[in-house]
Amino acid sequence: MKQIIALCTIALLLLSCNEDNDDIDTAYGSLNLVFENTVASSPLILNAQTYANLSGEGYSVSELKYIISNIQLTRSDNTVHTIPVDKSYFVINEAGTKTALLDSIPVGDYTGINFGFGVDPTRYPIESGSVNFIPTAEEAGMLWTWSAGYKFLKFEGTYSTTVDTDDANPFTYHVGSHSANLDNYKEINLAFAKAVTASTTTTQTINFDVAKIFDSTNTMSLVAKDDIQVDPENAPKIAENVRTAFSIE
Amino acid sequence: MKQLLYILLFISISCSTEGTDDTSAMTDDGYTPLPNPALNFEIPSNFPESTYDVTQNPPTEQGFELGKRLFFDGRLASDGVVSCGFCHIQEFAFTHHTHITSHGVDGQIGSRNAQPLHNLAFMADFTWDGAATFLDSQYIIPITAEKEMNETISNVLNKLRDDDNYPQLYANAFGDEEITTERTFKALSQFIVMMISANSKYDKWERGEAVTLTPDEDAGRILFDAKCASCHAGTLQTDQTYRNNGLAIDPTFNDIGRERVTGLPEDNRKFKVPSLRNIEITFPYMHDGRLQSLQDVLDFYTDGITASDNLDPLLVRPDGTLGLDITQDEKEKIIAFLKTLTDNDFLLDNRFKEF
Repeated sequence: MKQIIALCTIALLLLSCNEDNDDIDTAYGSLNLVFENTVASSPLILNAQTYANLSGEGYSVSELKYIISNIQLTRSDNTVHTIPVDKSYFVINEAGTKTALLDSIPVGDYTGINFGFGVDPTRYPIESGSVNFIPTAEEAGMLWTWSAGYKFLKFEGTYSTTVDTDDANPFTYHVGSHSANLDNYKEINLAFAKAVTASTTTTQTINFDVAKIFDSTNTMSLVAKDDIQVDPENAPKIAENVRTAFSIE
Repeated sequence: MKQLLYILLFISISCSTEGTDDTSAMTDDGYTPLPNPALNFEIPSNFPESTYDVTQNPPTEQGFELGKRLFFDGRLASDGVVSCGFCHIQEFAFTHHTHITSHGVDGQIGSRNAQPLHNLAFMADFTWDGAATFLDSQYIIPITAEKEMNETISNVLNKLRDDDNYPQLYANAFGDEEITTERTFKALSQFIVMMISANSKYDKWERGEAVTLTPDEDAGRILFDAKCASCHAGTLQTDQTYRNNGLAIDPTFNDIGRERVTGLPEDNRKFKVPSLRNIEITFPYMHDGRLQSLQDVLDFYTDGITASDNLDPLLVRPDGTLGLDITQDEKEKIIAFLKTLTDNDFLLDNRFKEF
């Protein structure tokens, strides 16, 4: 009997913890985040389309994947709903799943979203649940086999040295965390206005501008370096650019 | 939040101790988990603080048993044979005895020598190059590396879920039959953090217990402190840094060491300064197992060092020549001292045996 009481207490504590002290009677809906990968304002087309970056190089993309994590939603009254760790890690894949479905969202008006690009090294693998994302990341090829870290961004394709030439050289950007002293995790804050209503799914589009991977805070030239993986100089520049690539219209 | 954790911890502890009577909760499948008392993770009085936070994953009897089962289970590898225990053999402080570099599935030869497993709860990071910063995530590397176990975590979990026994073992350890990555890794950690080697002659001497070092051992200890302990520092004989100790490049492997993890040219060919616990029986030596005996190692440090941009400055003499100054007589004394680091209680400890 004592044990049942103990278990109930745990359950209650966990519930109140997860739901940010929401009333237990709160109604819930779902929020489906749809990531739209674009180049500038056009939808990204894999392989078939050639784009130009600001370094005057042509490129086409064969693979684009990134990890989204630690999602928090802000309500109009500035209170925050935190998605539980077990449901807060996603791989967005241009050639596959481009959505992050958040269920059990208390109904209400939401005005902002906070999420991470990659996996926060201060929470992984210490925070309970964060390790359970490994099989998903592994199936998506977002795990290094020689290291215990994740690839946050997997961005590959071919490029030509100028937009007018048709040479096709492979490029590879794999950006992630490797050890305590090379961390490329970024937090992103975006404003939006959506109401989550009971037992329905509300959709919110988040735009990811691929062009900004090359040209944003930093300018990345493929001719200068076309293979950036474990790179303490260039990987952080790409991560900083990625941080600016997300937007909500 | 911290308070909440303590409350939860307290409640779960009171649950597990009550589990010893017959009111134990049943799982969904009607299985009654076995009693699961906490294990005593005790830090030896001569040891530093542990780096592993055992409050996040307190070792329990059933968690340890599950971890041990997983450690010796070949199903963690793609060929069903190469378990963790295949390359980590207890009698040799969990090294791959006599193998220069370790073997993986399908007879593949790795590029590095399996490191001993002992006192890992006191290490800041793991593997020769520090590619894992937490013990709980280290397991990804050997399981998924092509030349080691060459398996995916998803497959491992599926094999365990399909097994007749594992769901109950997980229930014993964690309260229900769910098999997750986190539980799998935590169980392995519970087994491994209990592997404390702290009963060598040196430990007893250090703790002031009733042992005396022989004159040679004691002379070796003083020489070791003077000539080796600037890197092999402290009770565990490692300052846990990465250094280039002047090994010539082996073109077969061309191992860049720590640079693979940090991407920094200054980390080229740096490897972790290893603990020297049980060093007598963990031969061959160095990250690629190229040296066969402790005499070879000391000969290397006096006469075998190769120059490179990153060579550790401690290995350069004031006149610019390379190496440490140690006479043959001194080497013999240092080796006598190193043998006091062998802990037979640990090497033969029944708790860590497969059967």
